[in-house]
Amino acid sequence: MSVPNTMRVGPFVPTILLRKRYLIFYFVLIWLSLIPVLLEFWWYWRLLWDWERPIHFFIYLAFIIFAMYLTVVFTSVIFAKLLLSLVKWRHKPREGTFLRDISDKDYRFWCIRNVIKRWPVWIAHKFPFPFLDNIALKAFGVKTSIHNSLFEGWVDTEFIEFGDNVVIGQGSIVQSAVIVGNLLIIRKTVVGNNVRIGSHAFIMPGTKIGDNSVLATNSVTTVGQKLEEGWIYVGVPAKKFKKNVFFQDGLEEVLGHVDNVEKLREKYEKIYLKRSDEKLTRKEKKRSMEERKELEKKRLEEGF
Amino acid sequence: MTEEKETSEDEDLEKSIVFDALSDSDMALDFTTSSAISRVNIKFLAVYVPIFWVSGLAVSTYLYASTAHVENWFITLLLLPLNIIAMYFIFILSCLLFSKLMLVLVNLIHKPKEGIFKAEIGDTDYEFWMLRIELKKLVLWLMRNCPLPYIDALAFRWFGVKMDFSSHLNDTWCDVEFIKMGRKVTIGQGAVVMSSMIVGKYLIIKKVILGDYALVGGHSTIAPGTIMGDDTVIGALSSTTYDQILEDGWIYFGIPAIKLKPTKFKRHERDFIVKRDVDEAKSFKVQHEVNIDEDKKDKV
Repeated sequence: MSVPNTMRVGPFVPTILLRKRYLIFYFVLIWLSLIPVLLEFWWYWRLLWDWERPIHFFIYLAFIIFAMYLTVVFTSVIFAKLLLSLVKWRHKPREGTFLRDISDKDYRFWCIRNVIKRWPVWIAHKFPFPFLDNIALKAFGVKTSIHNSLFEGWVDTEFIEFGDNVVIGQGSIVQSAVIVGNLLIIRKTVVGNNVRIGSHAFIMPGTKIGDNSVLATNSVTTVGQKLEEGWIYVGVPAKKFKKNVFFQDGLEEVLGHVDNVEKLREKYEKIYLKRSDEKLTRKEKKRSMEERKELEKKRLEEGF
Repeated sequence: MTEEKETSEDEDLEKSIVFDALSDSDMALDFTTSSAISRVNIKFLAVYVPIFWVSGLAVSTYLYASTAHVENWFITLLLLPLNIIAMYFIFILSCLLFSKLMLVLVNLIHKPKEGIFKAEIGDTDYEFWMLRIELKKLVLWLMRNCPLPYIDALAFRWFGVKMDFSSHLNDTWCDVEFIKMGRKVTIGQGAVVMSSMIVGKYLIIKKVILGDYALVGGHSTIAPGTIMGDDTVIGALSSTTYDQILEDGWIYFGIPAIKLKPTKFKRHERDFIVKRDVDEAKSFKVQHEVNIDEDKKDKV
């Protein structure tokens, strides 16, 4: 139900902590965001503490602790936003492929931005309030409706657009930046309306998912992949599986009902998995080799 | 802009597939999505705040009692860490108690049931499903962050997962209703056990049964309606589909899980050890003497 520790996934830490001196952002942010909370508690103390009759203080203590947590989240978001706007003013964030090296300005500023966002997003993600996540993400520039449920997985904090009524499954990752070898790739990820993303699915930067489509569990998209509208995608990397007809009315009784289960299973086993003990004929081998070569050619031509 | 949108929606409706033409493979649920709540709402605060406050009252009563009449400040400070731990557990347990109470009330108003429902605001089953999940969330979050592994088995048992303390769920994302587990079930890190799933417009709730000695690999997903037999294994990073039945004593793997090979480490064969003679490249079985009485052997 609640996310266990083993599923608290996030972007890789060593890529973010580029230099130790960026830690100063953490200290400044944590210090700044804890001051209003202390003020709040001081106000509460002045209001209700009485050495002879402390009962009122104790009755409303839980409320004020609750409110204090919320203020920590909000103030840290506000201060991070201020710092972030300064950083963005120095260097505007942009999409593209960059060198993963300190000499590269884009990479350096990407690291700084992530360091700044990490504390408020972490503190919003920790608490079991679904909408705290949405508020933090919204403040940092992810386009999302407040009703989307993004709290079970991990969502990168910039260059992402969500439509309405999106559900992100447990432990799935939506990225807009990835490090491949010596390169940092930042591309915009767009997720349409009514999209369901299964648990442990992985969305790479640059993926564009159309409305009403589904990315099933444990499937992975590639960089810059486009998923069409109204289809179900399965696999590593995600492939077209079948049409999504589940948005029609009146399917309650027919849903999931299959007459010939064995036939379907045979059909899908062929699609899903090629067994290692299955021997290919020479023709099939040749064909698969050609297909692979064509794919590689296509990818080289398209580039990043 | 709004007019344009409306017209495009009408066109989509016309384009959509005719109901009679849907074939078996269109209707089959042979893929798995997630069971996260589909609409996050500010109304959830109305559930969190009472639970938080009432269990906070229990803690602050304890705090008041322990600090009201202090004679020796040195001893009080010495005992402070113990007091803090006590308050932590008082908070967790009272949260558990009150959310269980609210859950019983909610279940009295509307009984949870299996089936296929519409996932839209207005459907009572769907709304109560969301409410139940929200009620359980705060407690389970506290349990997850508690360093005692069996304390969240306690919460799962209270909230309606049928399991005993021989199996554990502390590394698992798990729905907290309509799940039945046998003895000594092992579930890997980051696995997801769902008894509910949202597909398109529909919410599907169906019971999940895991047999004795079942083993679920890390980061694998178990869909609603799955029935796992005894001694069944699912590999890591694989997922089952809706209503799938996994036979006894087989290893399953893939998305969706299909038969890979029979298990060699079955419960019935626990007494055997396979030995390998490297020089002659042979392997043979040896009866392994377990130091347990005959009448208690079946309890192992």
